[in-house]
Amino acid sequence: MTALSVDIQSKCFGSHQVLGPMAFEIAAGERVALLGPSGIGKSTLMGLIAGTDPVFDGRVSRPNGQIAMVFQTPRLLPWRTLVQNIALIPDAGGEPTARARLAEVGLADAADQYPEKVSLGMQRRAALARALAVEPSVILMDEPLVSLDPASAQAMRGLLTEALDRTGASALIATHNRAEALALCDRVLELDGPPATLRKDRASPLDRTRRADAAAVDALCREWYGDVR
Amino acid sequence: MGRGQSAVWPLVSLAGLVALWTLCSSVLQLDTLPGPLEVVRAAQIEIAQGYFGHLGATLLRVTAAFVIAMAIGSAIGIALGMSADANRIFGGWLVLFLNLPALVTIILCYVWFGLTEVAAITAVSINKIPNVAATVREGARALSKDLAEMAAVYRLDWRERLIHVVLPQLAPFFAAAARNGLALVWKIVLVVELLGRTNGVGFEIYAHFQLFDVAAILAYALGFIVVVQAIELLVLEPWERAANRWRR
Repeated sequence: MTALSVDIQSKCFGSHQVLGPMAFEIAAGERVALLGPSGIGKSTLMGLIAGTDPVFDGRVSRPNGQIAMVFQTPRLLPWRTLVQNIALIPDAGGEPTARARLAEVGLADAADQYPEKVSLGMQRRAALARALAVEPSVILMDEPLVSLDPASAQAMRGLLTEALDRTGASALIATHNRAEALALCDRVLELDGPPATLRKDRASPLDRTRRADAAAVDALCREWYGDVR
Repeated sequence: MGRGQSAVWPLVSLAGLVALWTLCSSVLQLDTLPGPLEVVRAAQIEIAQGYFGHLGATLLRVTAAFVIAMAIGSAIGIALGMSADANRIFGGWLVLFLNLPALVTIILCYVWFGLTEVAAITAVSINKIPNVAATVREGARALSKDLAEMAAVYRLDWRERLIHVVLPQLAPFFAAAARNGLALVWKIVLVVELLGRTNGVGFEIYAHFQLFDVAAILAYALGFIVVVQAIELLVLEPWERAANRWRR
């Protein structure tokens, strides 16, 4: 079953074309990486898929269920506590659910803190909890591990995998980090440009258990991309 | 140190001003420059003749005009800040009203609506609305696109967006408008009372001006300064502190 279908002809900002023609589908439950260097247009593409930017040539068929997004910056409301940030989302199921979701990402004790008073890693986890709270059929994640220290990134990766295992949601994860893409996803879409087009669309030979092994990820990374990470 | 000192300095500074005032009035010995003690005596006489009633009447007018101006001015400011079209069409009006002298608005309101309470409060509100609108417009122009996108993805309806996303971003601009507003509104209310009301601080100041009774004029002016300062300290500042709780 297809969870998400994307068929884009072009996306321009003024006379500057950012995205070229590209088409792909994501199956229900599938985890797909959108891999490309910074500035290639991954966030722009995510915006088109999320529906925040309706101005482009092409078509995006979204699922019937909720679509959730974990933005590159946490985008929490700084004047609401973490639990309020989740509870105020219409489909999030209110405060008890919000607390439960925060507990799942290890933020039970920080639930009543304001976002600016906790670390970036904690804000990221709260943003993930918010995405999970709407019980989405598709989660879009824009660089979910960027600018975290290695320990926080490791913890966040674990939480992401666990959450996707538990909910069975499809995921499209934009990243510039090849090892990260291989550690998280069933399939890797590589963007090249400008304007950005789909250069490669490869299924990962690593299954979900073997992906947890850093050595296996490193080996595949070398095989696919040479020695560059 | 620190906190204690910051509370002491304004008092020291005010005491210095009172000392200078006492010195000037005792050196010059003019009827038109009474010292602090004479002002207190004048206030005592006025209290027997309805001082607090006049203070209260003025305070009610200030409150009514302030609330109306903040509500209408904020709505206009948000509309102009969020819609470039609205700003193109009505931005010029705002400039015109910003530069319309208070006295002209007051006289026109009295001429058109009669010497009534409604005309008085309308005149003060019209004077204040453009300032509030201009301040809030700046805030509405700078609203975060990131948070708007978040609200769209998570399907917040317009009411939820207003309460959780838009208004909190505008809070510092409301605070600035309120602070400037209070000072401006009460000064204009006095003029309105002087020109067309039969009670209030402005009316009393006019009555005592005809008698050249400077002590009573100062008694009313100082009384109202105390009231406005109290509102600032007891209402506006606690509200601002509560609104800024989330900041690091």
